[in-house]
Amino acid sequence: MTNQPFDAFGIWKEMYDRTESAFRDSIQSTLEQPAFAEGLGQVQKQYLQYQGLVNGMTEAYLKQVNVPTRDEIASIASLVINVESKLIDLEDQLDVQDEVSDTQAKEIKQLKTTVNRLDKKLDTVIELLTKQLEAAATPAAPQKPATPAPNAQVKTVATPAAKNTPQAKK
Amino acid sequence: MSNGIPTAPFDQWIEAMKLPKEAVVPQDLKKMKRFTEVVTTESEPQVGQTPKEVIWTKNKAKLYHYAPHTKKTNKVPILFIYALINRAYILDLYPGNSLIEYLVNDGHDVYLLDWGTAGHEDRHMKLDDYIVDYIPRAAKKVLKDADAKELTIYGYCMGGTMSTIFTSLYNDILPIKNLVLMTSPIDFEDAGLYTNWLNKNTFQLDKMVDTLGNIPFEMIDYGNRLLSPISNSVGTYVGLASRIENDNAVLTWKLMQKWLNDGVPFPGEAYRQWIRDFYQDNKLVKGELAVRGQEVKLSNIKANLLNICATRDNIVQPDQIKALNEQVSSKVNTLHEVPTGHVSVCTGRYAQKEIYPYVSKWLKDHSK
Repeated sequence: MTNQPFDAFGIWKEMYDRTESAFRDSIQSTLEQPAFAEGLGQVQKQYLQYQGLVNGMTEAYLKQVNVPTRDEIASIASLVINVESKLIDLEDQLDVQDEVSDTQAKEIKQLKTTVNRLDKKLDTVIELLTKQLEAAATPAAPQKPATPAPNAQVKTVATPAAKNTPQAKK
Repeated sequence: MSNGIPTAPFDQWIEAMKLPKEAVVPQDLKKMKRFTEVVTTESEPQVGQTPKEVIWTKNKAKLYHYAPHTKKTNKVPILFIYALINRAYILDLYPGNSLIEYLVNDGHDVYLLDWGTAGHEDRHMKLDDYIVDYIPRAAKKVLKDADAKELTIYGYCMGGTMSTIFTSLYNDILPIKNLVLMTSPIDFEDAGLYTNWLNKNTFQLDKMVDTLGNIPFEMIDYGNRLLSPISNSVGTYVGLASRIENDNAVLTWKLMQKWLNDGVPFPGEAYRQWIRDFYQDNKLVKGELAVRGQEVKLSNIKANLLNICATRDNIVQPDQIKALNEQVSSKVNTLHEVPTGHVSVCTGRYAQKEIYPYVSKWLKDHSK
């Protein structure tokens, strides 16, 4: 005899391990048999037969006592779910519209920037043209009075063209 | 009552037994008392503790955004798609033992699409409805909420199969950068014992869906437990008893039991489709599956693929998973094998030390 304390759980585990290893293979091969699957099918068939009968009887009873059946309550829940689905569809459409308006807002902003740039370019062009015109007018300026007569400018501009006129050729 | 102090039912029971003193070993008694407490009276641990907010809902489905105030270093958000079986909190089981918590703390922007609990009114819902009406909307919401240009789709188990179908249909429509799958069945040619049990000749599929509407969780759980009946029944409690003095092991046991027994009903029509089109006709891998009239071609998938396969999985056979890598057109095509089971791929010590860091690094490397 040893003085080792009695270990109930240890014995249980030992028993389990031995039983499990002894029966595992035979249980596994039973589970793999086509006959086992057939047996399962038979059990299912009988259970479902019974369950179908209970369902039918319960439904008939509930109708008799004017209490809504599970299917009737479920159909109300389905209507609520359908309404929710429509709301989600609307939410999705709003999301799409939001995306579209976001895109449009971005495009409008880009357009504004482009127009502003064009505006600035146009200002520059106008400024340059004005300077050019002023520059063209500048050579005659020292010989003329500070405020030239209107016809004087016409004369200056007309001078080069005069060479090509029929009168000039004569 | 003894000395005016109320005693627990276990103590009362031991007293009532009137055992001789020498027959009672204090250490055994202590273990048995603790075992009884854990199995019967102790409260369940709190799960899904990573802070989150709901950003969108549709019917019973909720789209969660995790820890929205944490600084994100990875710009590509992750959208987790869960299965229609069991509950999604297995991905965020407990602080320190949570895939989602790890990813959030590592700088990822994480979202989860949780299907919720189907009611009787949802018995007509098909997989098509979930894949076409829910996932694309959730993906758009994620992109908008995260202000991101691309996203990662992350599917677990059946959620991975749904994610694969979604990606093949929407890879050219939505900016799906990465597709990450964990133990997701694609090829159903040999699904182990399920192939035997779910065969057309014996399995009462139509009668089941027509009679029950939604398929109760207990029925699906019964099938799963039958895969390994002794270890899934007695073995669970023997395992607990042998580690009853280890508080961490007891906590893990309680977490797993809570999750395993906390299932949801499977929407009827989706179940009919799942068993017929996948387990019985194996349409997905053959290229014969159509969703709302659109053909599902796995070769349409161009997103970077990380396919995680658990070699000790008895629910989804490794060969069922690997088939995907051979069919996609992804330039980055990774098959990662891990020595875990179906659930321990996302919880437990190995997952925490090896899988979480691997996934996080892979995502960072492929989100630039």
